Amino acid sequence: MSDGARVGRVFTGDELTRDSEVQAEVCIVGSGSGGGVLAHELAARGLDVVLLEEGGYHTRREFKMDEAWSYPNLYQEMANRGTDDLAIKIFQGRSVGGGTTINWTTCFRTPPRITQVWREKHGLQALTDEALRPHFEAVEHRLHIHQWPLEQINANNKVLWDGCEKLGLHHKLIRRNVHKCANLGYCGVGCPVDAKQSMLVTYIPDAVEKGLRVYANASARRLELSGSRVSAVHAEIRDPATDKPKGVKLVVRAKVVAVCGGAINSPALLLRSGLDQGGRVGRRTFLHPTVVSVAMFDEEIAAYSGAPQSVYSHQWIQRGPGKIGWFTETAPIHPVLATVSFAGFGADHRDLVQKLPHLNALVSSQNDGMLPDETGATVKLRGGGDGRLSISYDLRPEHFEAARASQEAMARIQLAAGARKVITLHESPVVIESEKDLAKLDSARWERLRIRFFSAHQMGGCPMGADPERSVVTPELRFRGVDNLFVVDGSIFPTSLGVNPQQTIFGLAHWGAQFVAAAVA
Amino acid sequence: MGMSSLSRRSLIKRGLVGGAVLAVGGAGFLASRGTRRGKPPPRPLSVLSEDEHAVMQAIAARVVLPGAGAPPLDDTAWNVDQILTAVDPSAVKEVKQVLGLFESALAGFLFGGRVTPFTRMEPEEQDRVLREWQQSRLLVRRTGFSALKTLALAGYYGSSATWPYLGYPGPPIAFNDPGAPVWKGGGQPRPDSPGVFKEEEAEGTFPDADIAEKHAP
Repeated sequence: MSDGARVGRVFTGDELTRDSEVQAEVCIVGSGSGGGVLAHELAARGLDVVLLEEGGYHTRREFKMDEAWSYPNLYQEMANRGTDDLAIKIFQGRSVGGGTTINWTTCFRTPPRITQVWREKHGLQALTDEALRPHFEAVEHRLHIHQWPLEQINANNKVLWDGCEKLGLHHKLIRRNVHKCANLGYCGVGCPVDAKQSMLVTYIPDAVEKGLRVYANASARRLELSGSRVSAVHAEIRDPATDKPKGVKLVVRAKVVAVCGGAINSPALLLRSGLDQGGRVGRRTFLHPTVVSVAMFDEEIAAYSGAPQSVYSHQWIQRGPGKIGWFTETAPIHPVLATVSFAGFGADHRDLVQKLPHLNALVSSQNDGMLPDETGATVKLRGGGDGRLSISYDLRPEHFEAARASQEAMARIQLAAGARKVITLHESPVVIESEKDLAKLDSARWERLRIRFFSAHQMGGCPMGADPERSVVTPELRFRGVDNLFVVDGSIFPTSLGVNPQQTIFGLAHWGAQFVAAAVA
Repeated sequence: MGMSSLSRRSLIKRGLVGGAVLAVGGAGFLASRGTRRGKPPPRPLSVLSEDEHAVMQAIAARVVLPGAGAPPLDDTAWNVDQILTAVDPSAVKEVKQVLGLFESALAGFLFGGRVTPFTRMEPEEQDRVLREWQQSRLLVRRTGFSALKTLALAGYYGSSATWPYLGYPGPPIAFNDPGAPVWKGGGQPRPDSPGVFKEEEAEGTFPDADIAEKHAP
């Protein structure tokens, strides 16, 4: 039903002072790469859509490029999300725009070898590269996704470029969703000039102009079921100043509900609602486990300045049977992120952080979930179900093998690019000053919390697929067993991607909007 | 931002020190040697006790080990206390447990034969204890170390006062417009913004050399 007079609006927690109930055709939970695109595609079809976002509505006026403000306001658990044992630190967005407000703007279409696995092993026959192409093209156009020019890459990325050139390794320029980018380097803490074409400044405001109602600071706690349908979404309103619940409830009654909270939070909402699909919800969560190689240069690198990611290498993305592949990129070095991430303590740690402007960081992220025995992470509720989640990742020998091999590969690149020395993030750091020191990596200990892992990409937990015994949502993204419930975000991936995931989520949301829209009728 | 989520089951239940410690905790001379408090917290504490604050401060002193030109450590444990106010209560409880175990002479005795609370040790001895936790065969002790280390570092380096010490010039703050309008729809037209690329605009110019060049370092 199209209604040209519908007026869209962004509501924030401070404005919501009493319990209320709203009606809509579609209720979307989560405003990141999945929910943002989906909200727009549905609003553009003339549907009446309500979008709930647990985080706040933060815009460029607040983006002062200070980590001390950004982590508490723009990240899940103040950027301290992690596996239960803290072996993998998890960076995930939490504000209007979700991950797109704080990611490093790296864009890849889904690799064909991944969609092939999804078709052949997960029954997703519709996901051909041909079928997805128009959806990728649409988001590339709207988000101004284009290759970053070589002459504008920063010194941090130049290390990866130069090292790969010298060693004859695969390397290419990254495509970024930016427009009039000032090359500042602060994508990870909120773009102060709206150059990053995040959901916050593109699809969400576009959709608000088409009648979308956004409720920020509205944390969806539970889906209410009546028979085989979701009859309501129950949310609690949080105080934007304290981020604590203010005792105000919001109930959304919609014909169709789409859960778009991302891997980890979408499974959590489903589990809180008693929807576990025989224990499959929250399992097979993949994190692209990432190790970091820090290199010290005589010259200034200033890895806090300039587009954070502009070069990548896929030299090792496929390493043969039984081995986990990885992709190599760079990470910006900002003071808080660096100081809490670097290994060791006392003098070792201090002497490294004091060289901050001279440091370069390469990261290698593992394409997890491709080996038959890999189960990835499991997300569960704790105790009462309303507090912290439990996230446990089954790190296997294959992950440590890939970590060790990637650490060596990155060190070679950094040395080739002229690094004075290379330092791993082992608690007893391995220091490599020349090729012959690479053997030290063999005597290092490759165990949890002896070497640091990170995750900036969360995928899976509600995998799509044709087999009801192995999937949570159907190939049309419908949650099995519930007629009017969809999942549209990174949690539907059956495996990880081996590339940064935002554009795959954009594309799948753009493609999947047709199924959600059809369910309204 | 330093907080971390420890294991779902509490550390004690995981067998970190075992039931024996709980059974005898508070008994005997080991328990009688109290925490040495250094400087009092600069402002009232919200989550940590004064003893826990003192332990955190002692840990931070060794973990951060400020060099020449470093800003003072004084506020670090208080900053950690502030971080913890925004953390899930179950995680706060676990942090307090680890701080207690770190300090406890009894736990120290069972782990490594030492009978002095952490806060009463010489710095070298404190480093040895930190390394014990950092390098422990028990994953749960490495987890505890990681949590306390992260908190200490965040409590210290979370302050912009450390930027000159790190050689970090700080962000290009002139690019932030604190008066930028906040648009909430409601029928109002969207205000202009430097990067906003309107839906109806066709292809932009690639690459965006102009603005970046203007601000090249």
